[in-house]
Amino acid sequence: MATVDLPLPRLGVGAETAPRPIKVVLNWGRRYSLWVFNFGLACCAIEFIAASMARHDFIRLGVIPFAPGPRQADLMVVSGTVTDKMAPAVRRLYDQMPEPKYVISFGACSNSGGPYWDSYCVTKGVDTVVPVDVYVPGCPPRPEALLQGIIKLQEKIASESLSSKGMRAKYGGHRAATAAEVTRPLVAPPTREVVGG
Amino acid sequence: MTEAAKGSRAAGIPGLVRGLAATARTLARPTHTSEYPDAPPSLPPRSRGVIALLAENCTSCMLCARECPDWCIYIDSHKETVPATTPGGRDRQRNVLDRFAIDFSLCMYCGICVEVCPFDALFWSPEFEYAELDIRELLHERDRLGQWMATVPPPPALDERSADPAEVSALGKPARAPRAPRQAAAEEGQA
Repeated sequence: MATVDLPLPRLGVGAETAPRPIKVVLNWGRRYSLWVFNFGLACCAIEFIAASMARHDFIRLGVIPFAPGPRQADLMVVSGTVTDKMAPAVRRLYDQMPEPKYVISFGACSNSGGPYWDSYCVTKGVDTVVPVDVYVPGCPPRPEALLQGIIKLQEKIASESLSSKGMRAKYGGHRAATAAEVTRPLVAPPTREVVGG
Repeated sequence: MTEAAKGSRAAGIPGLVRGLAATARTLARPTHTSEYPDAPPSLPPRSRGVIALLAENCTSCMLCARECPDWCIYIDSHKETVPATTPGGRDRQRNVLDRFAIDFSLCMYCGICVEVCPFDALFWSPEFEYAELDIRELLHERDRLGQWMATVPPPPALDERSADPAEVSALGKPARAPRAPRQAAAEEGQA
């Protein structure tokens, strides 16, 4: 299958040359408005949902679970078993997220394959497909463990200094997509058809 | 109850008022959100957070590593010769633990290793706050596993009507009668 090179992410001139205090403010904004996109694939997704509900309520930490899709999300939480069949979809939706983007690997299956580490069809950790920022251990982890992973990610965001070079380093120099993924036309809006006519 | 009976009971109150009553009840109730980073969570007893190792009790018998369904326990050991304590006695060998590591990125928290350990070297600890930025740090080596021992809760109290533990009941038993001296027994045999 023919592949095309997607453009590498870059930072605007203003953000790249901003003085330190401005970067701190930018990081502070990023840290507490993480629109999250739940890639729920197995039982860990239930714990993720529990963490988003009233008892654990991660909106307290600024994690907003109302992203309509990956294009509006900053954080992807991969919770569950990533199979080799699902892995291209994980990669594709990750590619659709805008920079800067973060990934939390939630649970043993997405950390390293977990109980299925010897399976013929399970990806041995989602970090073989996308770069992962925080690994939350557990099978499944408690909702509080996700909250702690989010706090860890927020500390990482607070201490990072974004640059085009650093963002590109995550991709290892190139982003490739199959030509079919990029050139496929938009889905046509549904047309109103006369029923029975 | 039929549909008609349901309708007649609720007919007197408009739906809006009933809905507002439910809202008012919820408003009056305190929230049940647990303020996790500020307040410690109330974990259930016997909760499985992390596995702690008491290395002094480990005889490197490898039972845990062999029973682990994920094969996430790594044990290295070597044999050491203990010289005989009595003259003419035999030298003994004992295992010395070199490495004990649990890969918590693989572990499925089934607790079989804790169950199977014949010398009580592994314990459940309720700690769960060990998310890492690098997956390699989820491989907890012996010293890190040993640090979790401080967080292991005391075992639950015995049931009130349960039998005494073996150590206690052994104390109450009368002492065993001393054996007849060996020489006298040998003479009896000759006679």
